[in-house]
Amino acid sequence: MGLLSGSASFTRFTVEGEVPENFWDFVAQRVTEHSFQDIDDTIDEHSIGWVSVVDMFDSDFAFSSYAAGDYVVLSMRVDERKCSPAVLRKFTAKEESRLKQEQGVRRLSRNVRLEIKERIRAEMVRKSPPIPAVYDLCWNLSDNTLLFFTNSRKALALLEDLFRETFELSLIMQIPWNNALQLTDPATAEKLADLQPALLI
Amino acid sequence: MDLIDLIEEKRFIGQEFLAWLWFKSEERGGSIELPGRGDIQVAFEKHMLLEYGEGPESEKLICRGLQTELREARAGLALGKKPEQARIKIGSDEYEFSITLTAATMEFRSVRLPKTAGAADGDGDDAESFEGQVLERISLFEDGIELVNELFRLFINIRASTNWSDELVKIRAWVHSGAELAGM
Repeated sequence: MGLLSGSASFTRFTVEGEVPENFWDFVAQRVTEHSFQDIDDTIDEHSIGWVSVVDMFDSDFAFSSYAAGDYVVLSMRVDERKCSPAVLRKFTAKEESRLKQEQGVRRLSRNVRLEIKERIRAEMVRKSPPIPAVYDLCWNLSDNTLLFFTNSRKALALLEDLFRETFELSLIMQIPWNNALQLTDPATAEKLADLQPALLI
Repeated sequence: MDLIDLIEEKRFIGQEFLAWLWFKSEERGGSIELPGRGDIQVAFEKHMLLEYGEGPESEKLICRGLQTELREARAGLALGKKPEQARIKIGSDEYEFSITLTAATMEFRSVRLPKTAGAADGDGDDAESFEGQVLERISLFEDGIELVNELFRLFINIRASTNWSDELVKIRAWVHSGAELAGM
């Protein structure tokens, strides 16, 4: 579900800040610098960057451009190695039990248990394949609005950071209040500040 | 004020917009006149989430059903609940969007676009045809947003004007008639 097909869910933003005159050169350079780096053959836990909206494996934009008319279209790809809490609990308990038996003690100290938990977590994470998530966006350059094709709070926060790092521009989420200020004339906008919730019954 | 506080403090604007839109669409049998555009169809369907109160003490009421007349939801309004999420069909017979709209953040969920000529997904492999498909999809999304924006502008202009008190009387009468429908 996203920009290219099917039904879609999206969150609206406005883009704030100055863009350079040689805009497309700037975008080319910045998108390349912040393109997605694969972590399948590494032990990294997390990777985030830009890929083509057509193909999550195309981070060089070799087969399709991020430029479509007056729009920048990109996908934010996030790969993350995760360990489920149930798996972590199971292997931590197993290791604690082994150590207690080996040392002939009934209890392990808090520090030792924390160390075991962290070691097991790191081992489990290293063994798990990165789980990918891909979110499309389209940036309208003529009115500086941006549609981000998800409503996930976590993804929205990641986008705001990646967008700022990449383009040195801020994203402002379009909630009803902001939208109201933009859609009305200044006199009406001024009156909005005094509105109080109405009783509908 | 940061965004989280702003969302909380001003969420009533989105809730009242959904309630007003629902009332307005039923006032004229499912259509609303937009200045400069004429009548457009607006129908509430299938799914509605209402809320009462704030924070941990808030109550939620979810109403769903393929052929539902949303009687429970109308009754919920009469009990002081406000719409937090609604599924809306909007547009015209040939050009219709289905959108689930949230009140607090005005997110668009599960948006279904109108069917257009040559809109089959994945047609054509060359870059030019791909760019054409992308631009067509974006243009449809932006048309849907524009429709919602125009309705929202209409609401805000009434809400901030002296006409709001008259509108509120009509909304309250409609809410009370909904309670009677539900046998309250």
